[in-house]
Amino acid sequence: MIPRLLLAALAVGLTGTVLARPAAAQDPRLERLEPSTRPLVAALIDSARAFGLPAEPLVQRALEGTIKGAPGDRIVAAVRRLAADLGRAREVLGAAASLPELEAGAAALRAGAAPAVLAELRRARRQPLTVPLAVLADLVASGVPADSAAAAVLALAATARDADLVEFRRAVERDIALGAPPAAAASVRVNAAAREARPGPP
Amino acid sequence: MTPGKPAWVVLAGAACSLVSARAPAAQTTGTVDLGVSTVRYDGFLASGAASLTPAVRWESPRGLVSARGTYLRFESGHRSLQGLVIGSIFTPATSHWRGELTASTGASSYADFASFWHAIAEARVHLLGEDRGAWIGGTAGRTSYGGPARPIAAAAVGAWARRGELTLLGSANRTFVGDTAYTDLASTVRWRRGPLELEADIGARVWSDGGGRGVYGEANATVTLGERTALVVAGGRYPTDPIRGSIAGRYLGVAFRIRRAPLRSLATRDPRAPLVDGRASGGSASSAAQLEIKPDTGGVTRLIVHAPGATLVELAGDFTDWQPIALSRAPDGSWEAALRIASGVHRMDVRIDGAGWIVPTGTTRVVDDFDGEVGIFAIP
Repeated sequence: MIPRLLLAALAVGLTGTVLARPAAAQDPRLERLEPSTRPLVAALIDSARAFGLPAEPLVQRALEGTIKGAPGDRIVAAVRRLAADLGRAREVLGAAASLPELEAGAAALRAGAAPAVLAELRRARRQPLTVPLAVLADLVASGVPADSAAAAVLALAATARDADLVEFRRAVERDIALGAPPAAAASVRVNAAAREARPGPP
Repeated sequence: MTPGKPAWVVLAGAACSLVSARAPAAQTTGTVDLGVSTVRYDGFLASGAASLTPAVRWESPRGLVSARGTYLRFESGHRSLQGLVIGSIFTPATSHWRGELTASTGASSYADFASFWHAIAEARVHLLGEDRGAWIGGTAGRTSYGGPARPIAAAAVGAWARRGELTLLGSANRTFVGDTAYTDLASTVRWRRGPLELEADIGARVWSDGGGRGVYGEANATVTLGERTALVVAGGRYPTDPIRGSIAGRYLGVAFRIRRAPLRSLATRDPRAPLVDGRASGGSASSAAQLEIKPDTGGVTRLIVHAPGATLVELAGDFTDWQPIALSRAPDGSWEAALRIASGVHRMDVRIDGAGWIVPTGTTRVVDDFDGEVGIFAIP
């Protein structure tokens, strides 16, 4: 299983093996990284590319860490983690998945969506999965239980247009804003039931 | 209560099952609070108590049901039991209105001589704006203190507003319980950032006939320690509650909370904020900026940031190679840039007047890999 090999390789760190060789065609944007971090990130990107994973999201993650002033080891860890997420997403979505789909899939998995849901989405929808996956990740990240979010997106996925899914997401947001579970207690909490759940006197 | 078993055994069993058992569905969550507190009911001496509070909550897109029990063991050796079940259903959301119907029933007993029960139903109509709202509601029910049940009727109005992670609520309630009548004016401030959630209430009971009068205030803090654990500190003074049978008093309590399901709080999103192509609103405490994303012609996307009072607004994201881009000031005072942004999920932050990078509202705010946060949005 190539993705498992990738995960294993990334987990143990390829840095030691790749440090010995210069990154032949290193992305010039990586010049913004600290000199000590740059070869480690480049090695990870090379390794991911060797497994057929897109390099661009990994470069971007490293640059994000740079602009935020993150220490080198955190940047390396972040890139490694994203590579693993992309590997899992590709394993589920298939080798034909586009870069946006892979990124959205990785975000959905990271948010807590089950791999089986992504696979089911792939089977159910002939159109690109980017928006359904983004909506799924968004819902789960916002606190909607993963299976509820998955059921809703799956129900819409076969026939809904991207715009419909975006509108669905908006409707859920309105529900949440109006006091619907699950986020009402965490965000607004104006609904009558929420007050009962607060810490109170003995 | 199960015959032949002490109350604490039953509650402890329920608590263990909540923590250890696998819930039948992911939308079911459970918590168990183990705590100690000191309480001084008006007219009584202060007393310490240990508490065990299991709670379970089931949620669906159209409603919720939650149940909670509390076992209190006072230092006197007396015990108190409280139980509450509450459910809400919501009408489908329209553009600005939504209805809510809530029913709750509860019972409590202290030692072997004081017991209460109540059953109430409340209807609310919510009016929702972008970052503020109001509601009006009515309540009816029955309550009993060992004797014949007394009727309950109440009317309430309230309003809330949110600024970042700060939420302010104000409400006025007029309540009738049998021949007792009182009005509560209350306000709540709630603030949340990262693992810390703070909430404070201050209120006054006025125009009271048999319900007591005075000013009261409570505060609580919840600190998330891990995915399944939290520390809850609460204290203050609260008024007599003729519906649920609690006597006015002061208290201070600390509890260790164990959650059955991992938190989903790695990310929060402004509930009113659009995913794409819409006006963002409300937002995070860290944000003094609101992002609007508008598709333009020729594959260009306009990113509009509303940042009142700013003299320089920059953004950086994976569509700028995380290089800061200074936005141009528009005639209406907003800041904008027109960029080619590929379809997909994108990450970005905003910087105001050269300060730190923040997440604008209008994006989904998630924890990044660098001990900070990042805004996420999707372009179809």
